[in-house]
Amino acid sequence: MRKILTIAAREYRAMVGTKAFLISVTMMPVLMFGGVAAMELLKNVAEIKHQTIVVIDQSGRLFEPLRMAADSRNRFLDQSAKPPSAAERESPETDSGDNRDDDFNGFSQAERYLLERWEGDVINDVERWKLSERIRKGEVYAFVEIPPDVLDARLPTTPAEAAGLPRVRFYAEDSGFSEARTWLIAVINELVKVMRLEAAGIEVEKVQRASLPVGIRGLGLLERNSSGEIRPATEKNELIAIIVPLAVMMLMFMVIFMASQPMLESVLEEKSNRIAEVLLGSASPWQLMTGKLLGTVGGSMTILMIYLVGGWLVASYRGWTQYIPLDLVPWFLVFQVFGVLFFASIFMAVGASVTQLKEAQSMLMPVWLVMMSPMFVWLAIIRDPNGTLATWFSFFPPATPTMMPLRMSTDATIPTIQPIAGLIVLIAATVACVYIAARIFRVGLLWQGKTPRLGELLKWAFRG
Amino acid sequence: MNQYAIELSQVTKRFGQQVAVDGLDLRVPVGSIYGFIGPNGSGKTTTLRMILRIYQPDSGTVTVLGGSRGAAADDRLGYLPEERGLYKRMRVGALLNYYARLKGHYDSREYIRQWLNRLGAADWENRRIDTLSKGMAQKVQFIAAIAARPQLVILDEPFTGLDPVNMESLRDAVLHLREEGSTIIFSTHDMDMAEQLCDTIFMIYRGKKVLDGTLDSIQGRYVANRVRVRFADPETRLPEIPEIASVEMANRGFLVTLDGGTDLTRVIQKLAQQGELHHFELIRPSLHEIFVRIARPTSGELDAGLPEEALA
Repeated sequence: MRKILTIAAREYRAMVGTKAFLISVTMMPVLMFGGVAAMELLKNVAEIKHQTIVVIDQSGRLFEPLRMAADSRNRFLDQSAKPPSAAERESPETDSGDNRDDDFNGFSQAERYLLERWEGDVINDVERWKLSERIRKGEVYAFVEIPPDVLDARLPTTPAEAAGLPRVRFYAEDSGFSEARTWLIAVINELVKVMRLEAAGIEVEKVQRASLPVGIRGLGLLERNSSGEIRPATEKNELIAIIVPLAVMMLMFMVIFMASQPMLESVLEEKSNRIAEVLLGSASPWQLMTGKLLGTVGGSMTILMIYLVGGWLVASYRGWTQYIPLDLVPWFLVFQVFGVLFFASIFMAVGASVTQLKEAQSMLMPVWLVMMSPMFVWLAIIRDPNGTLATWFSFFPPATPTMMPLRMSTDATIPTIQPIAGLIVLIAATVACVYIAARIFRVGLLWQGKTPRLGELLKWAFRG
Repeated sequence: MNQYAIELSQVTKRFGQQVAVDGLDLRVPVGSIYGFIGPNGSGKTTTLRMILRIYQPDSGTVTVLGGSRGAAADDRLGYLPEERGLYKRMRVGALLNYYARLKGHYDSREYIRQWLNRLGAADWENRRIDTLSKGMAQKVQFIAAIAARPQLVILDEPFTGLDPVNMESLRDAVLHLREEGSTIIFSTHDMDMAEQLCDTIFMIYRGKKVLDGTLDSIQGRYVANRVRVRFADPETRLPEIPEIASVEMANRGFLVTLDGGTDLTRVIQKLAQQGELHHFELIRPSLHEIFVRIARPTSGELDAGLPEEALA
């Protein structure tokens, strides 16, 4: 036993005590959640852009109200750019669901619009070209042409008439996906509607009252705790409903990946540097393998702890702790341990059967595909966590360690028997995997010739 | 305790169709230095691995330090594999202590330090293995093999890649180990080193034992077929007789290679007829020559019936 612990301790130190480990521990989340994190950072760092838009208002009535709308939008954005106070954060009731999303979208980072009235007489292509040149020089962001008959209100009766309706033209380098265009047309339509109502002698306020939209809130299910108290349902945010399971799956995948790769490298080093012979002269293959797996599990738990603690700190800083499914942590740990054992033992067997990293990579191709498979279907699974695909896929042993917690971290109720059964299947598969890996490991470690084919590997595994 | 550290009896090991070791018998007395020689691929390493129980023989028995069973690693054995065997990214001190701990010696710091000092490596403890030169790494590897104070030390090619100074210090280390009571087996291509160090020499060729004994006894079994001849008168010529296979000029005399099975008395008579003999010396074959004679893959004569034909 002491030998196993000696081996485990060395393996652990070799995995955790390196600069490469530190770098990959920091780089992994950056790579995987980099986009979100970068946006969060930029929100506080980047300066706010101002976009000047020249308005050619041929109707002569829209420019002033448009400018007022732009100003009030700018003021609103300036206010919401300030970080919300603690009181605001803790009472989601005071906010509407829409505003909560702003935190994720970096909405307050949006450009401010400065509208400029075009002072020319007649608009023609020469003038349009001049304005285009100003855009190319960067003086102006866009120009917009409001036709003179924009306030006319006649319903088209033929397709030709519909095509002939007045249209606002928006010119910009990125007019195709410009947010300014979307904003402008929404505001123009609102203004035009009000003006047409007034022109028709209809009371605007009545219409507004009549068309006041009804909101909707997504809520989770009510729960009753052991003392019989019913806990109110919590508000559900679509983004949170996706991000939490995704983060759970990504974290588990990252830990498995970061534990398996060093295992492959360490076995390869032991083999190609003939350390294996020295080790086998001191410890049995079984002790050696157990020690290595133990050290790797220890290393992976260290990574997991770093991320869990880090994640918790970030969450409590942002006030998101209520979204972290704490009750799942024990399940999560158990599935993680067996997931690491399962894949690390495969990587170990592969490391023992080849002599070069290159060969290992081609041999690991199918393993990688299986390991990544949850990544291809996760969205379908969190949409329907109790569907046939989700249920069966989470019992496929290589996917169980990531899929079962993924399903459990959604809001759906997974029958308790399923994670237990999944765990039993996973344990059985891991035991079989470790057993086969051990046999391949024993023969492979001293094998110095060409890379064995699958048939030979099977022979090693079953005949020794 | 058994008087033999190692006893192999009728040991055979096959890899697929190939017979790596074929019906090998070997006895290594406790406290001796035993040299394994033999060309590449002749079965040396396989034999060493069977002694280490990394491999199990297909037939025959391998008894090491009294035990003949089990696949389990033996903590009383120390092993230096041919080249490398060290974790590149570990530090010397940590690595040596790790190897000692693996053999159940949890406090070897002092012992390891003594050996580092003895091999002139006192300040290497905190260096990483991949910063060491080949000779330095070889010394570290040697200490790794003996860090757990083994009764039996197995060294596979310990002298390859060493400069003469390092070779000397490693040779002294081996002798020191023997004084401490260890039995040492090493394999080598360096015949001079084998002649200098070994009490007993063992040669394996194509999986079979071809030599086993003290240097004297081995040399005694080979007919000396070279003689040094010097006449009183340097002008004297050699007789033209069929027994002389070839002649080299050496040191005002002749180095004469005779045909196998030559009657020496007749040769001396013929020489004496040419003129007054000043010097006549039978040169015993060196281990190097014996090795080459056995292992040189010449025409059918060697292939046909080894080892009987090589031995005269």
